[in-house]
Amino acid sequence: MAEYFGVKVEDIFNTMQERFRPEGAQGVDASFGYDITGEGKWKLTVKDGQMNIEETEDLSDCVVVTITDGETFVGVNIGKVDGMSAFSSGKFKAEGDLGALGKTAKMFRKYAPAKKEMSIRDYLIDMFGTVVERFKPEAAKGMDIKFAFDLGGEYGGQWTVIIKDDTCQVIEKIEGKPTIKLEFMDAKDYVDFSLGKIDAQSLLAAGRAAVQGEINLALKWGEFFEKYLDPMASGEKEQELLVLKKTISVGQRFATGPVMGKFLNALKDKKILGTKCPECGRIMLPAREICSECRVRFSEWVEVGPKGQVRYMDYVYYASPDPLTGETRDTPYGMISVLLDGCKGNDTFAHIVRNDQIDRIEFGWNEMAGTRVRPVWNEKRTGSIFDIKYFEIDE
Amino acid sequence: MAHRKKNRNVGIIGVGQTKHSSHREDVNQPEMIHEAVRAALDDSGLKLEDIDCIVHGNMELFEMVFMPDLWHVLGTGAYGKSQFRITTGGTVGATLSCAADNLVASGMYDVVLAIGFEKLQEGHTTGGITNMADPLWFRNLQTGALTGSTAYNIIREFGEERAKKASMLYRVIMDKHAMLNPYAHRAFGLEFDQMDDLIKNSPKLVGDLKLIEMCSQSDGACAVIYASEEKAKKLSQNPVWVRDHVTVHREETFCIFGYDEKYPVTMTHTEAAKRLFERNGITDPVEYFDVFEMYDPASWWAVDWLRDFFLLEGDEHLKLVENREIMIDGKIPINPSGGVIASNPIGATALLRVAEAALQVRGDAGAHQIPREVKHALASGFGGTMWTVLTMLEKELNW
Amino acid sequence: MGKRVAICAVSQIKNDGDYWYLRFQNMLLPCLEAILEQTGVTFDLDKGIRDIITCSDDVYDARTISNNGVTDVVGAHLRGEEKMAQEAINGLGYAMASILSGHDDVVLFMGHCKETQTESRLMNTNLAFDPFYSRPLGLDFINANAFQAREYQDKSGLTDEHLAKIVVRSRENAKKNPYARENELVTVQDVMKSSMIADPIRELHLYPVTDWAFGMLLCCEERAYEFTDNPVWITGFGNCMDSYFLGDRDLTSNFSLKRAAQRAYEMAGIKDPKKDFDVVELMDSFAYQLPLWAEGVGIVDEGKGAEWIDGKGADDQNVNLSGGMLNGNPIILGGVARALECVLQLRGEAGKSQVKGAKRALAHGCYGAAGQHQAVVVLEK
Repeated sequence: MAEYFGVKVEDIFNTMQERFRPEGAQGVDASFGYDITGEGKWKLTVKDGQMNIEETEDLSDCVVVTITDGETFVGVNIGKVDGMSAFSSGKFKAEGDLGALGKTAKMFRKYAPAKKEMSIRDYLIDMFGTVVERFKPEAAKGMDIKFAFDLGGEYGGQWTVIIKDDTCQVIEKIEGKPTIKLEFMDAKDYVDFSLGKIDAQSLLAAGRAAVQGEINLALKWGEFFEKYLDPMASGEKEQELLVLKKTISVGQRFATGPVMGKFLNALKDKKILGTKCPECGRIMLPAREICSECRVRFSEWVEVGPKGQVRYMDYVYYASPDPLTGETRDTPYGMISVLLDGCKGNDTFAHIVRNDQIDRIEFGWNEMAGTRVRPVWNEKRTGSIFDIKYFEIDE
Repeated sequence: MAHRKKNRNVGIIGVGQTKHSSHREDVNQPEMIHEAVRAALDDSGLKLEDIDCIVHGNMELFEMVFMPDLWHVLGTGAYGKSQFRITTGGTVGATLSCAADNLVASGMYDVVLAIGFEKLQEGHTTGGITNMADPLWFRNLQTGALTGSTAYNIIREFGEERAKKASMLYRVIMDKHAMLNPYAHRAFGLEFDQMDDLIKNSPKLVGDLKLIEMCSQSDGACAVIYASEEKAKKLSQNPVWVRDHVTVHREETFCIFGYDEKYPVTMTHTEAAKRLFERNGITDPVEYFDVFEMYDPASWWAVDWLRDFFLLEGDEHLKLVENREIMIDGKIPINPSGGVIASNPIGATALLRVAEAALQVRGDAGAHQIPREVKHALASGFGGTMWTVLTMLEKELNW
Repeated sequence: MGKRVAICAVSQIKNDGDYWYLRFQNMLLPCLEAILEQTGVTFDLDKGIRDIITCSDDVYDARTISNNGVTDVVGAHLRGEEKMAQEAINGLGYAMASILSGHDDVVLFMGHCKETQTESRLMNTNLAFDPFYSRPLGLDFINANAFQAREYQDKSGLTDEHLAKIVVRSRENAKKNPYARENELVTVQDVMKSSMIADPIRELHLYPVTDWAFGMLLCCEERAYEFTDNPVWITGFGNCMDSYFLGDRDLTSNFSLKRAAQRAYEMAGIKDPKKDFDVVELMDSFAYQLPLWAEGVGIVDEGKGAEWIDGKGADDQNVNLSGGMLNGNPIILGGVARALECVLQLRGEAGKSQVKGAKRALAHGCYGAAGQHQAVVVLEK
């Protein structure tokens, strides 16, 4: 016999006797039938504060017969499936006296599943089965998102959680184009992840999970849904671990000083100025007060570039936050070390390269020159690093 | 006069650490610190009143707590005691060890407890590291500590296939070590036959640096107790002696490798190793040391840095990896703990290197104990823009 | 112990209310150059500076690893560098340990803080409190200290007028100090009329926003005379941490300061602090703290701070002749500034504030709400 949420249909019937509340059955004298598709038929007879349950094919003398499938029946009994919605959707039907059926609710204490291991499949059914009740419409106002889950492995499956018009719906397949798709090679990882046993970064790092589509929305899952609580966690409700979320921001006024200040000011005039060490001849970019190697102040300003050759480029895929704005940068982008004309050795200058050209950049090495680049200046220049919009290939 | 003889010897007599994890919502900062403090006290059999002085360190902006030692006194146990707060960068844990060593050796304090910690889940780590850069310039450009430059360099020097394999092999070996360490944050159970797949499929971060090759962001704390020779011998059965330490920093620059052989860049790791080995008379470090706990933020760097730290030439460092000599049962085991790629609570990370090295010397590392006697251990710290701290530990007081 | 460490040179720039035109790198560089010029010390790996101790703060600099930004201007490229991430006076204790341990014979000690860079020092110091309870309540280093001020007033009989007198004296003394922040001289009436910030603390009762940087060269006893003819010796150091929650503490008991002082006195062999010091510099970030800390270090009897002010005890005992922290030093450097003033006194270089024949001095520094962490240094000629 199949298990639903870790419970068999017969578990519900077999425990009826011990869950029976005579005080709730006062004045009831009737039989109630249960026709559980694919599982069997049961008849409950209540009389004089006593009850009897039997598995039988004959439900003819019952005042009301409940017709449903095993998952819904168990789900409603253990509170995992909302009875009213199951009833409205037709998954849970009753033929006969509906009023009488209502009385059965008071006759029994709630079924408490015996403590035992839940399988991965049980967890998946439970997790997706409780998505709708965990949905927080106020947090997802106006959202139109399809979260697709593609979970591999023996117990895997496909689900789509659809948020639209402040409602949430779960379907057990992936159809159309989801806004975001989460793939887990093994469904067990998804379960562990949802239970907080393993972190997403580790799974992504190991290539055991992948995210496609709008990654930032994946992070919002936690805002749209209440946290999934492990039904196997100890009988007493565990203390909820609160975390305090706070963005701390304290305004700053960074001085530029005479040296950095002159360097930044020169950018307004489309000039790149370095400071030169009187001892080793090194040119410092951006300009600095002192040559750290020789421990002497610079002796002269030197105008360099503005063109130069790329010595190295970091091809950045990781969506890094810009600490000044909090915005996540677009990826990929290329951060280049440019040896500006007039500089030598390792006196490189860091900036970014035009985004559509990052795949065409060659790095220089020793005598061999890298891709020639030139700065693209902003129309309005304020004395900041972004007076240079970016470097582009000099062609 | 150069480097002088130590005023008095210093022994490590207790180490403690927390489980490193991205899920420590169950404790706040002082509580997490206290777990490590308690573990170190239990390890040494001491009580808090036996500690004279506490040295605390981390980086304020990762958790956005100003002068955090004030609040953390609830967990550090510094109430009524002498207390210092000394920091550097990712090196801070190693610096704490150096400071504790100096404080005890000076004769000013007999028993000093060093505490390093970080709760990286309480802030944005990459954003925090990016904040390190000059606000007028580089802060606008960089991506935390991520760079593909070392991968590029190794690939250029040794060819793509050999380089990528060496980096991934190092990574898998570290995971095999991490599987043996119950405190490790990330232990995936990677197998050697997965290497080609990982090289192909692990998401890229920057250039050829892949997510699997980069260190984690962890919550965790580490505490280590240092005592004078007299006290150490009285209080401990098996103190581990701190022989020497050296720190080498660089200017704030992100040009940490040379683009032109005519203009070599002095590497801080090499410089630190040269100074340390020279003044301690060590000519062949691979032969001399029985374990090296290296601050390895990414497998590419680790592979490259083996050459720097051990003063190797040509492809000797690659061969150490390729021949699996760096495995726990190899010639020179690197990070039997799983290293930084497995667990990285930044303010504790470099102190963990010293703590793990000390456990190896004591023979108390449990499942990740090296299966032969460990007499000489080396531990490194890395931080800032290429800063290095090296610490030497010894089993015998005989140098 | 009997061992001592030399301060061979000190340097500083003038304390200023707004170095808007300087990066902190520009503030440190002249301090470095002055030390090199005074002592002739080099960065030679055998004979010169191998290790540097800096002091700065990540929150005030708004930089993770604030010391990363200063490595070039403190000469730390390819040298060791360690940062005191607490009140810089503790750096003297740590430098002492680094030298006495044998690890270093020469240590360069430099620090900076630009309080003007931040939008609000109250927002910064609010971050010193736990994020769950005290921080949301809005505690910062001013309103938290107001609790201590009020309690101390009750204990010692210190009045608003006493506090005003302390401020007036501080500003008068500072006028004799060429490196002091330029402040207007004020009258008792001016102070008593200044606006109330956190009762009983008035605007003029607290140190003004200040930018400053300094340098020092420390050395082992054997080599001190290579760098100076006039060394000043650190003979005692002690520090101590109190508990965190204000409610857990007796705010006027000077618990941590007494312990810190006791440790320093024991090391230096001080028997009677009332008589043994020719010069005393206390880190009075707030006016009420001058008598409170004076009690803590044992130069004034417990609870007698107000009488001490009335009796001009601070003048008799040469306390804060520099103007003190109250006239303006930045946070995290107020204690080391006290030590630097003591060095100038003991070297006979304190100009118009010079105490003739000063032989022994006490410098004090603290940080945290209501002086949670305290440090004391004993300096001798």
